[in-house]
Amino acid sequence: MNAPDRYERFVVPEGMKKVTYERDMKIMNAGTFTAQREDHTVGNVIRMQLHRDRSVLFAGYKLPHPLEYKIIVKIQTTSQSSPMQAYNLALNDLDKELEHLKRAFEAEISHKQNEYY
Amino acid sequence: MDMSSSYQRVPSVRIREMKDDFLKFELRDTDASIANALRRIMIAEVPTLAIDLVEIEANSSVLNDEFIAHRLGLIPLKSEKAVNMLLSRDCNACDGDGRCDFCSVEFTLDVKCTTDQTLDVTSQDLRSSDLSVVPVDSLGQNTGSMGDAALEQRGILIVKLRRGQELKLRAIARKGIGKDHAKWSPAATVTFQYEPEIHLNETLLETLTLDQKREWVESSPTKVFDIDQVTQQVVVVDPEAYAYDEEVIKKADAMGKPGLVEIISREDSFIFTVESTGAIKAADMFLNAINILRQKLDGVRLSFDTQEADDQFGELGAHMRGGL
Repeated sequence: MNAPDRYERFVVPEGMKKVTYERDMKIMNAGTFTAQREDHTVGNVIRMQLHRDRSVLFAGYKLPHPLEYKIIVKIQTTSQSSPMQAYNLALNDLDKELEHLKRAFEAEISHKQNEYY
Repeated sequence: MDMSSSYQRVPSVRIREMKDDFLKFELRDTDASIANALRRIMIAEVPTLAIDLVEIEANSSVLNDEFIAHRLGLIPLKSEKAVNMLLSRDCNACDGDGRCDFCSVEFTLDVKCTTDQTLDVTSQDLRSSDLSVVPVDSLGQNTGSMGDAALEQRGILIVKLRRGQELKLRAIARKGIGKDHAKWSPAATVTFQYEPEIHLNETLLETLTLDQKREWVESSPTKVFDIDQVTQQVVVVDPEAYAYDEEVIKKADAMGKPGLVEIISREDSFIFTVESTGAIKAADMFLNAINILRQKLDGVRLSFDTQEADDQFGELGAHMRGGL
């Protein structure tokens, strides 16, 4: 009857920004990213990649409520970096890692197929 | 600022077993977040096709219309085509009502029972408008890796009809993802486990009698250890059978021999098992999952205006703090 549409879980409503950033007003080099219509899949990957960055002092994410389809990523860095810089670096590194993984998997598949035929 | 810094990893894969609907492989030199993201995506975000809209013209069967529509939706369809199709929500050609070749495939079904024998209506009675999109079993091949061939020849049962009953309908299959409804999930099961490393304390083991060894070996619910017939020594036969149940460790403690075995899980190595419903190949599920994760990560990049707005804020902030 009044159930929300299922696609509301993964389609960003018109006029809403996918990602917003807000600086922390009290702590230097700290800020909060809010990504709409994302969940643990992306949140945890970004958080773990940020932990690898030595200029990141703190990185955490949360899914505030199961019916609010957004994640919040909080980052604090040293003065050598900034939350935005760390965030962008994490995304770039993850993309390169996945590109490599894709190539490695495709090579492994063709290797495996050659064994059969 | 050091812009050249990178914390990228270089993962590796090794396929152990590959069939159309089954895949087992090792993923190394990455972490659980990547492994779990790929697992979650394979289950809930790799698109397939499934029947989503059913118009029933005649139904005198014992099952009601919505029950049959639900059963039709759950039939896995060959969905190799799905990656290149549009979601009907995004389809401009038909305004999303799902009746064009870009976003939908039409099926018809028309069966009537005219004999005294009960008639089984199965997925093989569905007529597709696109020969590449058909129910998984209807290619005349046994797609199941362990299923009974004769059983699969008959297709997936939809409803049974007795004399005089008929079922006539038109169904539209659309592209979708498992997050929307489980019928779109290509995954039967997707699991990963850490690779266990099992170290036996040989010297401590030698203090046990053969019966004690046997007792200890049998304390494991899965067959991880065995006793060598010749040397009567305990050997690890299958480390991956270990279910992290810690029964052998508890047993060693109970026998007054703590430290008999040390089991550590390698947290950068994973063993994946992927089973497909048949909608798409298991290997394609994993490749699609990698692509989708990359798209998702690209989607959460900061837009230029957000970055610029903060840059200006930063200058203002620095100015107010008396810097620069």
